[in-house]
Amino acid sequence: MSLHIDKLVKHYQVHHKEAGLRGSLRSLFHRRYEMVKAVDGISFDIEQGEIVGFLGPNGAGKTTTLKCLSGLLYPTAGSATVLGFTPHKREKAYLKQFTLVMGQRNQLLWDLPAMETFLVNQAIYGVPERQFRETLDELVDLLDLKPLLTKQVRKLSLGERMKCELAASLLHRPKVLFLDEPTIGLDVTAQAAIREFILAYNQRYSATVLLTSHYMADVTALADRILVIERGRLMYDGNLQALVERTAPYKLLRLVLEQPVDETELKLFGDVESIDGLKVTLRVPRHGTKDAATRALARLPVADVTVEDPPVEEIIREVFRRGEAVEYA
Amino acid sequence: MRDLIRVYRALLRVGWELMLEYRAQALLWILSFVFPLVMMNVWLAVVDEAGPLAGWGRSDFIAYYVAAALFNYLTAAWVLWDWDEDIRTGSLSVKLLKPIDPFHYLLTNELGWKVFILVVMGPLVALAAWLSPEIDYPLTAESLLAVAASAVTGFALNLMMSTSFAMMSFWSTQTKNFYQLVFGLGQFLSGWIAPLALFPDTIRHVATLTPFRYTLSFPLEILMGRLSGSEIALGFAVTAIWLISFTIVYRVFWRLGVKRYEAVGA
Repeated sequence: MSLHIDKLVKHYQVHHKEAGLRGSLRSLFHRRYEMVKAVDGISFDIEQGEIVGFLGPNGAGKTTTLKCLSGLLYPTAGSATVLGFTPHKREKAYLKQFTLVMGQRNQLLWDLPAMETFLVNQAIYGVPERQFRETLDELVDLLDLKPLLTKQVRKLSLGERMKCELAASLLHRPKVLFLDEPTIGLDVTAQAAIREFILAYNQRYSATVLLTSHYMADVTALADRILVIERGRLMYDGNLQALVERTAPYKLLRLVLEQPVDETELKLFGDVESIDGLKVTLRVPRHGTKDAATRALARLPVADVTVEDPPVEEIIREVFRRGEAVEYA
Repeated sequence: MRDLIRVYRALLRVGWELMLEYRAQALLWILSFVFPLVMMNVWLAVVDEAGPLAGWGRSDFIAYYVAAALFNYLTAAWVLWDWDEDIRTGSLSVKLLKPIDPFHYLLTNELGWKVFILVVMGPLVALAAWLSPEIDYPLTAESLLAVAASAVTGFALNLMMSTSFAMMSFWSTQTKNFYQLVFGLGQFLSGWIAPLALFPDTIRHVATLTPFRYTLSFPLEILMGRLSGSEIALGFAVTAIWLISFTIVYRVFWRLGVKRYEAVGA
């Protein structure tokens, strides 16, 4: 097993200060603290080589969990074991085997070409020359870094910088990757490139990947298994498809009609989700999809028909709306 | 150890490349060389007016401040600003995740500049001493060795002192202001504002016990042949005590600080 997290808890005290000088003075004598339960007793295991997506709204505890697993935060209670190590001890042997990539922080030397950071990391991680060249060649190839290596980091675009950031974080061939918003702020093409790369790295080195993202597409493209977290509690742990089926026991039947049809007539085939001119979307029970589609084709002037799962965003929102932990799959 | 040497080589190379990148900044920095020379001129004006002070004439002040210009650079440490920034902004997290102690980054950064200074300014000062009839350092092989050693320990002392103060940043946002205060007092007692020889005996004796004297005045006093062998030995002993004390303070508060950092949200 790669990761074992048992009833992990991380609470912190946050000190409140009202705006302005008056608030500053008041807080000098009377500090108001609030206990924030960033992570409130979560447990899960991850096998070596798995890619797991971590989903949840801002402030749900995703980053805090990743920081606990990286050893940057000392857990309030519970325990975490990664590759047999206790993260917060930050033993060298552990630090050399994982990486934490934070989309909003950067380790690259800002005023020098990325290659310089790579060389420094080679020395810091003690990567032998041959292995370094091999890994670098692979990363250059997979991430298309060649034209970027000699440019100053500050002159790179956000997407280019993220690619270099990833490369710098992976030169020591870590077995475990914690990726916190690795695609934040990137355009669709760059997002797709990063995604493909993560998958390729995972397959080549059978590395374990735990990633958080605001972009549902990242998660659906990479992870079969997802962890849904809200207010520090684990709401769901399991297969993405299973969550979709459980939370949304319906599919979307999208029709393009040849001529307008009255809404009352459409209701005979399913719940009307939206009507936009000739484009109609109906909700039909998951198990009755085929039947509904067949009936619609036979009795309505249909030009085109597609059947889809509802968007994952909607499903996750539904999980949060219900506010109760879904049974673990 | 071999690993650490490799890390130092890599980090030093980066340091120098950055220096070449910030050419203008390096140049400006070098130009601040003139500050001690301004101090020098103030004292020369006084001497011209009032005659020698405590036995110090023109050539003494010139010899003192020309050397002070070089040694001030060699022994200075600016790590406090880097530590403070790392701790307050959370950039420390990135360094904590690396399998080397963050101290090495800051030390190599300083060392890079030192080599640069030695290469650029060392020959200049040597040339000035050789050409100018007013500057005469009574050097022997032993005293030269003592000067070099005291410059190294002077730097080490500044480094550990500012690193110790920097640990405050784990608890406070006012570290820099506080250090400026200490630093101001230090400039007085280090022989920067005026050579310690000019102070009343009481202050001179107090200065002998503070760490500040050993960050600047001590190497200069040896260089100018003002100290006996036993005074030099005593100076190194006081330096060693301060150095060990600051190192202990730094390590203890570093551990506590990191613990706090881990607790409140790195």
